[in-house]
Amino acid sequence: MARKPADRDRSRIFFIAPAVLWLLAFTLFPLLYSLYLSLHGSRFLRVTHFVGLENYRMVLADYRFWQAFRVTLIFVAVGVTATTVLGLLLALLFNHPIRGIRVFRTLSTIPLFTAPVAIGYLCMIIFYEEGGPINNFLLTLGMNGINWISDPFWAKVAVAFADTWQWTPFAFLVLLAALQAVPDELYEAAALDTVSSWQTFVHITLPMIRPALVTVILLRTVEAFKIFDIAFSLTNGGPGLATRTLTFNVYTTGLRDQNLGEATAIAFLLVILMLSVTFVFFRIYRSQYE
Amino acid sequence: MYRPQMPLWKRILMGTAMVIATIWLIFPFYWAVITSLKKPADVFKLSFIPFLQFQPTLDNWRTELTLRTREVFGGLSNSFIIAVSAAAIALVIGTLAGYGLARFRYHRWKNKDIAMWILSQRFLPPAATVIPFFLMMRKLGLVDTRLGLIIVNVTFTIPFTVMILRDAFGELPIELEESALVDGCSPFQTLIWIALPLVAPALGSAAIISFAFTWNEFLFAFILTYSRATPMTVVIAGTQDTQGVQFWYVSTRMLMAVIPPTILAMAIQRYIVRGLTLGAVKG
Repeated sequence: MARKPADRDRSRIFFIAPAVLWLLAFTLFPLLYSLYLSLHGSRFLRVTHFVGLENYRMVLADYRFWQAFRVTLIFVAVGVTATTVLGLLLALLFNHPIRGIRVFRTLSTIPLFTAPVAIGYLCMIIFYEEGGPINNFLLTLGMNGINWISDPFWAKVAVAFADTWQWTPFAFLVLLAALQAVPDELYEAAALDTVSSWQTFVHITLPMIRPALVTVILLRTVEAFKIFDIAFSLTNGGPGLATRTLTFNVYTTGLRDQNLGEATAIAFLLVILMLSVTFVFFRIYRSQYE
Repeated sequence: MYRPQMPLWKRILMGTAMVIATIWLIFPFYWAVITSLKKPADVFKLSFIPFLQFQPTLDNWRTELTLRTREVFGGLSNSFIIAVSAAAIALVIGTLAGYGLARFRYHRWKNKDIAMWILSQRFLPPAATVIPFFLMMRKLGLVDTRLGLIIVNVTFTIPFTVMILRDAFGELPIELEESALVDGCSPFQTLIWIALPLVAPALGSAAIISFAFTWNEFLFAFILTYSRATPMTVVIAGTQDTQGVQFWYVSTRMLMAVIPPTILAMAIQRYIVRGLTLGAVKG
């Protein structure tokens, strides 16, 4: 550009400064504050004295932490697998010039932009055990209703279902966009060589959409670690601790039991768990920017 | 798209699949709509079609919209004010940072590193900052204020606005801006008068995505507000009272909460994939 470098040097910093300062103040500072809290004791939401790693020791010795740890990992594993597989199948199926695909694509953005807490209540109405549509339907078929909310296993199924219902369109839309970006020539060449459609998929389609697939899996994983709203509204973490995720534990420990130290210790352990995931994410993802 | 001749059976199969998938998408909302139109006595019956299977009523809507105005309209207006303000602030910050990242080269920190750092906000679980935020807001006297939630949500949506606008500016031909600089515009004036009008669609999408994410946010809203500033997501959760969950009221509130962001999102089809993947996949 035509300006003197020194002149631009001074002004360009103002473009980036608001974003950087905002995130320093409202992301990095709270994170460090959180670390500080996790190393201190507290009473009535007030910090008392330095306790070292005592909070972490208490948390790691608490069965509720390990229960939430397990529940979180289950939701991540089930949610990510289910949304990715379903989304990929739908994208492959509908990657054709068929009537109604535009409308369908538009409709599929609805769950993505619906508040998760609303989805939790939507599903609560549908999964309701005494008179909800699913159980009523099962009854008319002569089967027994399922205890969607009061059985630890089915409650997890219900939460995972709601989460999958919300996020499958994400995988579908992203993968469909990736599929449509594959140049036609590749398929035409494959068709000329009379390659089977499975081989076409493995050798042409899959490598071409791999970056999108990786993006879907990793972004989905990151979101799945954050699950709270649906579990809160659909099952309220129950029955017992059956659907309490780590985020749920941060809330109950910190704000219901008012134990700031242990709550922030749980939060930090969740961050460490996420960091290990995002580390992988960055290594793969980075190449896609620039 | 490659278009081989599709046999009839394949087309029928695909049509069927699409109908099933559409029902799958729509059913929960349809059920909420008819639940909101049912008398409490009809709610627990398996009936789908108004007039034929049950007598619809507007009583639930009437109760919500006339007797519980404080909760419902308070919730809607809080949600609206918080979401619009957060989107506006995130948009200003995102436009500046997006332009900076697309057009200048930063040295002490590389552009890539700054972008990644901003992006990493999205990867941080909100639970990690909820406790310190609560204490900070209490200290600042911002508990149960809209301003408190605006600050929270700007923080969460900055990565979207920055990445969307960085890509949008990056795709503009640079010549126009260069000639404006030659003519004596400052970089800031160039951004405002030359580049900004050209990225209007991206601006709109970034605004809508920020608006929707803010509108739908629950964890912080639930913890930081209790009466004056409660947005719609918290109001829905409050329908659960001592008499148990009143599905007919929950449905009305839920529908009111769901409609604004989903309608807006339909307007930005072209940008959804790119926006939600923070620019990683171009839709």
